[in-house]
Amino acid sequence: MVSKICTGNYAAAYGSMRSRARTVAAYPITPQTFIVEHISEFINNGEMDCEYIEVESEHTAMSACVSASASGVRTFTATSSQGLALMHEILPIASGMRLPVVMAVVNRSIASPINIWVEHNDIMPERDSGWIQVFCDNNQEVQDMILQAYRIAEGKRVALPVAVCLDAFILSHTVEPVDLIEQDAADKYVPEFSPTGAILDPDDVAAVGVFTPPDYMMECRWQTDKAMRNAVEAIGEANEVFAKQFGRDHGGMIDPYMVDDAEAVLVTMGTASSTAHEVVDEMRAKGKKVGLVKLRFWRPYPSELLRAIAEKVKAVGVFDRAVSYGIGGPSYIEFRNAVFGLDLPVMNFIGGLGGRDVSLQDVRFMYEKLLEAARTGVVKRDITWMGTRGVEQ
Amino acid sequence: MAAQALASAAHAEGGYATAFPFFGAERRGAPVLAFTRIDDKRIYRKTQVYEPDFVVVLDEGLLETVNVVEGLKDGGAVVVNSVRSPEEIDVGIDAKLATVDATSVALEVLKRPATNSSILGALSKATGIVSIESIEKGIMQVFGDRLGEKVGERNAKAARIAYDRTVVGESHGSRVLKASNKWLPDVRELPMGVAGISLDTDAGAVGPGSFLENKTGSWKVFHPEYDGEKCTMCNFCWFYCPEGCIYRKEDRMEFDMDYCKGCGICANECPAEAIKMVR
Amino acid sequence: MKLKELPDEELFTRGHTACAGCGAAVAVRNLMKVLGKRTMVVNPACCLLIFGATYPYLAWKVPFHHVAFENTAACATGMSRAMKVRGKEDTVVMGIAGDGGTADIGIQALSGAAERNEDMLYVMYDNEAYMNTGIQRSGSTPFGAWTTTTPVGKVKAGKADFKKDMPLIMMAHNVPYVATASIGNIQDFINKFEKARNMKGFRYIQVFTPCPTGWRHDTAKTIEVAKLAVDTGMWTLYECENGKVKINRKPKMTPVSEYLKVQGRFRHMKEEDVRKLQDWVTSKWEADERYAQCRQ
Ligand SMILES: Cc1ncc(C[n+]2csc(CCOP(=O)(O)OP(=O)(O)O)c2C)c(N)n1
Ligand code: SF4
Ligand code: SF4
Ligand code: SF4
Ligand SMILES: [Mg+2]
Repeated sequence: MVSKICTGNYAAAYGSMRSRARTVAAYPITPQTFIVEHISEFINNGEMDCEYIEVESEHTAMSACVSASASGVRTFTATSSQGLALMHEILPIASGMRLPVVMAVVNRSIASPINIWVEHNDIMPERDSGWIQVFCDNNQEVQDMILQAYRIAEGKRVALPVAVCLDAFILSHTVEPVDLIEQDAADKYVPEFSPTGAILDPDDVAAVGVFTPPDYMMECRWQTDKAMRNAVEAIGEANEVFAKQFGRDHGGMIDPYMVDDAEAVLVTMGTASSTAHEVVDEMRAKGKKVGLVKLRFWRPYPSELLRAIAEKVKAVGVFDRAVSYGIGGPSYIEFRNAVFGLDLPVMNFIGGLGGRDVSLQDVRFMYEKLLEAARTGVVKRDITWMGTRGVEQ
Repeated sequence: MAAQALASAAHAEGGYATAFPFFGAERRGAPVLAFTRIDDKRIYRKTQVYEPDFVVVLDEGLLETVNVVEGLKDGGAVVVNSVRSPEEIDVGIDAKLATVDATSVALEVLKRPATNSSILGALSKATGIVSIESIEKGIMQVFGDRLGEKVGERNAKAARIAYDRTVVGESHGSRVLKASNKWLPDVRELPMGVAGISLDTDAGAVGPGSFLENKTGSWKVFHPEYDGEKCTMCNFCWFYCPEGCIYRKEDRMEFDMDYCKGCGICANECPAEAIKMVR
Repeated sequence: MKLKELPDEELFTRGHTACAGCGAAVAVRNLMKVLGKRTMVVNPACCLLIFGATYPYLAWKVPFHHVAFENTAACATGMSRAMKVRGKEDTVVMGIAGDGGTADIGIQALSGAAERNEDMLYVMYDNEAYMNTGIQRSGSTPFGAWTTTTPVGKVKAGKADFKKDMPLIMMAHNVPYVATASIGNIQDFINKFEKARNMKGFRYIQVFTPCPTGWRHDTAKTIEVAKLAVDTGMWTLYECENGKVKINRKPKMTPVSEYLKVQGRFRHMKEEDVRKLQDWVTSKWEADERYAQCRQ
């Protein structure tokens, strides 16, 4: 294993190479651009055996991936923000056809106003697209999850596409040490591609994507829902096998930290988890019983795991780097559903939008609010817009 | 459009009515299903009709394959587009039944075998559920709005003529239709991602090439009559037939009436005039 | 290949649900005979999708793939590259779409695939409107034509703009093969599909396919209308092979009114509009001829 200082974008590109993606169709967009460039370099240097399709749009990128996958090859793509929005139409087609396409999504704010910095509002509209979605908080995890994604996605039990999410700039453009997986190790972990359902093949005629009347729709939708539920098991296994082979355990569906005896717990997604991790250490050192749940998989959603944690603590805060206008943070809404019926103070912190930094101080502030709620059992404000000028904190 | 015109007619009489097609995707000429509900108060239900009071059958051929009286209420009535008399028609049960040769009416008045307006005249006569005057108004509104006043008037006229020619009687039925056989896989059987793969099911073949199961021959009003003597085997009709239901044999062409939709292209294009369209 | 040499086997079977007299169905059955069994099909939302592939039934006897409406060329790209990866490059990957799916919403993906010279045959069956959604105008609808979005009203009637010249746009991409064809010209139709089948890289064929339902003509006249289009110059038959343009058939320049009068969609047209259309046809033919001369 080589340890190398590299960006999240490099880690994603490298992961796709080691997973032996044989068709890549992608279109550049800040801050994903380097993924496309790295893959092109790998291919042009003869390191990666892959058809790279220099498409004219993200819509075409996803379409080409869908059709290549339906035609029996392993595919990869990457995008961000507006590009993801342009793919929107094709995303549920990939899952509906049960195609194990893997995509890196560099989470960036969605216009308007136009802004290129981190935010999760670009992927939230894809919540119901049938894509498995996992959020990373470091570059090592980015590489590792690309490999895991193929293991999760492929095979009859799941057969769904996976989006591996990394925060714009904070991961995509930041270098940190990554243990780069070598090819034979990767080959051992990611089995050779063998499509599961019917594929398009001149030697074995089948149709993929037929106009389907009401008589078949409920059954079809049920199957996809079941596949998403099955993914929970596949995710756990992928993580376990990975941990055994590579000695790195990323935690499966969620990655809890110091929650066992915690009074106040914060639920985070993406790189805010990493920052919060440090604050937990700092506050624990001062005797404050705080814990952290790094929400890794957004779909399938770990309702039961979260509920089990919630049952043991006195207050939970959910940090959202996104907002669903008029109701609150999407992660908060989901969490409330998971803990429905529990007598538990739950607070929502919306912050870091459009690249606003989420500082240690911000995280401390959230924990203080949570500890207060844990003590009193009272939530003074459900939703707090962090550091937003003119808005009460 | 007929279902809408009927609703419009009922509405014109001060009633409440809804009409809707079974939202299918068939092209023109394919068998379609449409429903009309009439009441004197607001209708809330937005479901298909399972127990109709009246059934209108525009294509007599459907009686062979579809149990048209399924769910028909006691005392209900059936209206069929047919040259035959009510007594000669067997829908499988004893029922009040009316017939009219709506196709001829349509050909006379509209010059096209579009029977949906004429048949409404028959429905009015057979059931009295709406008056023929209201039917005319309904047709004017729905057909007229969409296709122009003149077309509307012609369709209204067709309805009136059909009204006059409708024969109402009783039919005694004994026909037993086997239950409609459709492939309805459960969640374990349905191929993943609704893939279209070749399967031999109880309901016949599905998957690639399986449209063969769909006999489109019932769509036609006219059919080709072939004169082998005149045929030069030029193969033009074979190329031009949209259905691919003309087969090349050793020394003649063969026309497969199970699939022919009666478009008339073959007759129009045959350079030897070896094909004629007849009813 | 001659007409009589076309195989009997239908790779697009009867039992499909196109309207009686559908020109698109004539094109599809026959082009499949020419292309043969090792063809893989990508087909977007359009009439053909519905009448050829309604679950669990299919008229297609070759691999068939539908994804969405505007991405036929994108999907055919993915399929074609996958065949390359899998060492099955002997297949013909065919994207086949309507005029709307090609000239309007699909033009971006189409242009991209053509520019990259993807190995595919792209067929546009031109029925000059969005038929599947109920006859709305498209960029390919001719001047004057009634559609449900260019209705004949009291102040405006018919389409105000002229037909988009897609083959010319495709020729500007400098791809190996661009051709126009018609279901009314059998040998020319066969030749072009045969040629396209045997070539590699990006090939584009636009087939003229009258639609009795949308054009409001007698179902028996589908072929007659197609032939009239060629005779009047409303549709010119030519091909561009590796940059060289050849006119396959000179129009007789029969007055366009002959073409218009057999179709209900033009019935409302005033004399001056017919003249306008005639002028357009005349100058289009002149331009086509000149274009062919300079790219001989
Ligand atoms: C993104 C999107 N917009 C609109 C539609 C609706 N739609 C389906 S088919 C169609 C028209 C097809 O026209 P054309 O490509 O000319 O094929 P035709 O039906 O005429 O053969 C439209 C507008 C769609 N399916 N997807
Ligand atoms: S009328 Fe002729 S061309 Fe039309 S479907 Fe029948 S056989 Fe084919
Ligand atoms: S077009 Fe006429 S002459 Fe030619 S094969 Fe058909 S029937 Fe015979
Ligand atoms: S509407 Fe036109 S193109 Fe569509 S199936 Fe009917 S005839 Fe063919
Ligand atoms: Mg069209």
